[in-house]
Amino acid sequence: MKNIVVETKALTKTYEGIVPVYAVRGADVTIEDNEFTAIIGPSGSGKTTLLNMIGGLDRPTSGSIKVNGHELTGKTDSELIDFRLKHIGFVFQSYNLIPVLTAKENTEFIMLLQKIPKAQRDARVEQLLREVGLADKMNKRPTELSGGQQQRVAVARALASKPDFVLADEPTANLDSASASNLLDIMARLNQEEGITFIFSTHDQRVIDRARRVITLEDGVIVSDERKG
Amino acid sequence: MLLKIAWRNIWRNRTRSIVVITAIAIGLLAGVFASAFMQGMMRQKIESVIKLEMSDFQFHRPQFTEEYLPKLFIPNSEAIMAEVEQEPAVAGTSGRLISMGMVGSARRSGAIRIMGIDPAKEAVVTGIDSKVVEGDFFETGKRNPVLISRKVADKYGVELKSKLVLTVQDVEGEIIAGAFRVVGIYESGNGMFDEMNIYVQQDDLRALMHIEAGVHEIAVSLTDHDLAEPLATKYQAAYPDLQVQPWLDLAAGMRFMVEALDVYLYYIVGIILLALLFSILNTMLMAVLERMREIGVLMAVGMSKARIFVMIMLETVMLTMIGGPFGLLLSYGFVTYFGEAGINLGGAAYSDLGFAAIVYPYLDARSYLEVTMMVVVMAVIAAVYPARKALKLIPVEAIRTI
Repeated sequence: MKNIVVETKALTKTYEGIVPVYAVRGADVTIEDNEFTAIIGPSGSGKTTLLNMIGGLDRPTSGSIKVNGHELTGKTDSELIDFRLKHIGFVFQSYNLIPVLTAKENTEFIMLLQKIPKAQRDARVEQLLREVGLADKMNKRPTELSGGQQQRVAVARALASKPDFVLADEPTANLDSASASNLLDIMARLNQEEGITFIFSTHDQRVIDRARRVITLEDGVIVSDERKG
Repeated sequence: MLLKIAWRNIWRNRTRSIVVITAIAIGLLAGVFASAFMQGMMRQKIESVIKLEMSDFQFHRPQFTEEYLPKLFIPNSEAIMAEVEQEPAVAGTSGRLISMGMVGSARRSGAIRIMGIDPAKEAVVTGIDSKVVEGDFFETGKRNPVLISRKVADKYGVELKSKLVLTVQDVEGEIIAGAFRVVGIYESGNGMFDEMNIYVQQDDLRALMHIEAGVHEIAVSLTDHDLAEPLATKYQAAYPDLQVQPWLDLAAGMRFMVEALDVYLYYIVGIILLALLFSILNTMLMAVLERMREIGVLMAVGMSKARIFVMIMLETVMLTMIGGPFGLLLSYGFVTYFGEAGINLGGAAYSDLGFAAIVYPYLDARSYLEVTMMVVVMAVIAAVYPARKALKLIPVEAIRTI
């Protein structure tokens, strides 16, 4: 039996106002180890909000979120920051690398926050950048890299801390077709060969095609949860 | 890594950082130079007060400095001077007979303070001989010579060799007059002093005042002004019948002026640094607001608030660490240059107030350190608000999407 990485129960997020907006309503999601899951849905369907809550970036109005058995809803902001550092990898739509650091330093940065010894850091950075095909771009800053290359550095950064899973929000949205395809190949390989769990929110059909599980949201409600093969 | 990020961040907007560094340097220069100007002015005033007017400490009979009665002289002055001169820190002593009398010329007459001095001893204590600009310092051996200031010469319409009639009260209270001849004209640079004081030879005044021995005032000059108060205290204890006062108590308002200067300087430097604080705060706030998304990402991926706070503080501290030494160097250059060349305030108004018309800025090492510390503290304070602003950021709002 596989380990459950993420488990949400009746997860709800409401934005109060004159008319309350129900971004996510009663979402029950269970993600197991080694899954390659896409959360899809039209704009405003709540997929980003769901992803934010799973990543400990946003707090639910009600319901619970467990990551590897740790309940996130009662944690303080500082505890959540620490939790994200140790357990979750993030890949953002706009890459969001630290512009003043090189590819190597961006990848190494998370490990430095984790106080991993230098020798281990160096070895892991080299391994990760090699895996994403950027061994020769280690000393380049983000401005010297293409969008696809920056996103691959972002993947390396997300994996640097050996997280329980990686959350990727529209990771291919800003990439051209070739770069997107290349990035998906890398992530699929990391998933299959190293057992890394990926959870995407996406509109991109290429991501949906590669995903082994597709959760569809509409108006904040999970309307389907399909596993392929 | 934090140091590296902070250092590289400050060079992301090179122009802005250079503007801040320049602002810090100029702010420091303004603070240091304002302090140096005031300190230089006060130092000259103190030098003038000590050297010319008061010496380091003085002996009088009680009440003499209030009433100036001729009978209030110190009879055993020679013995006291001989004793004081044994002190290693004493550069010289000068006994003075003093009369608050009248001076009259063919044109006009008026009140004046007549000082009967031993020229050789007075030269050591006040250096008044070096201020003589015309004639000589009682060297020609003429009868009843008088040394007056340029101001007195102009006021009474006299010149070298002119006759002046000095009227004094003798020890019995009788009014006695004597004719004196101008042998020298001095300019001390202190208009107030010049207007009030003329010098005659002690024996000439002694004869007029009928005081056989003793003086009204013993002025003591030291090699180290800081010893004035302890030595005055020591001799006050030794001579309880006399009044022994250091220069700070002798010169009316000097103690207040010296103590007030420090407070005044802190205010001036404080105002300059306050302006600088808002300049840095504004720049750092812009730098933080521009990087909201980036800071949000740092928080999202696990950088603690404390580290983000430190990172932003480090950026400001680094800017200060560049601008500070640059400003200090600039300040040192300015203070050194003008400390030698002087700043001419133009006109005699300052001299009339007892201040030198040419100010030589001066700043001691302690003040350099104090101003530098104030700049560093100010920079750190300026960084706190932007850093706190960054801490209040909610990652999910800052980055919009994960």
